[in-house]
Amino acid sequence: MAGLREDAQWIVLMGFLVSFSLFFLATILDQSVMVGQTTAEAVSEFPKDDIREIRSAIIESYTMPDHAAVQNDITVLALSRQNAIVTFSASSVGPYTLISIHYNNGVTAYNETWRSP
Amino acid sequence: MVNTEGQLFTIEGVAAALIMLATAYIVVNATSVYTPGDTHINDMQLETLGCDALTIMNTPQNTSVQSPLQSMVENRDGNAFRQMYTSLLNNRTETGQDNVQFLANVSYVRSDGKTVNSTTALSMTRPLLAGEHAVRVTDLVIINTTKNYPADCRPATCPSGACNRTVLVEVYVWRG
Repeated sequence: MAGLREDAQWIVLMGFLVSFSLFFLATILDQSVMVGQTTAEAVSEFPKDDIREIRSAIIESYTMPDHAAVQNDITVLALSRQNAIVTFSASSVGPYTLISIHYNNGVTAYNETWRSP
Repeated sequence: MVNTEGQLFTIEGVAAALIMLATAYIVVNATSVYTPGDTHINDMQLETLGCDALTIMNTPQNTSVQSPLQSMVENRDGNAFRQMYTSLLNNRTETGQDNVQFLANVSYVRSDGKTVNSTTALSMTRPLLAGEHAVRVTDLVIINTTKNYPADCRPATCPSGACNRTVLVEVYVWRG
């Protein structure tokens, strides 16, 4: 580099700095869209409300005298309208009733054993 | 004789090319996300709002009375459903109403215990038009079918005379 003047080195360095910071900001902007989407998608796809309503309907059904039709409805409706397989059964242990509830929609599985108070 | 003056220009050219390639990559990558992230956030809020409103309506005041939603479905009281659900969805702390619309159906298992009928209209604020984006919220309701609604849902034999069945209230909620 014998015949070269060195003044331009600063200009080149600043050019690099500015371009890399622009690149960095663009990456952040790109990722921020994805973060908002994936977070909201994860919340929407988790069937929290489905599980809650099925769970409370199952527990309520065991307090009824004629729960066979009610419980069949829960299983059939969950399969045909909510894309979920729901099975449940009850057993008695001492003074308590235990209800085991299984929910699976292919993505989320939820299992619970509920004990009567 | 070859001199070295071209080296800086070469380096600059290579750097510029890399930056342009990276920019093009980011732009192409960003447009491949065809749904903006904001739509999902709105969907999530609307779904939570609709589901919470349904849960409120399906909560009885005490254990000896029915929940409002239960009696609305049993009596096929679409007007009461529309009034209560509209006020739960659209009331705001500020003056004026929000503009959330809904369309509610009742799905039930027919008396054969296997097939599902999902077309029974319960209530709506207005029909869902093409191009409007709705989210679906549901709630399971245990009702007494002695009032013969839904029509072919009542079981042939009722062991205790209560004829209880489970129906699914499905609501499409959208802004418009």
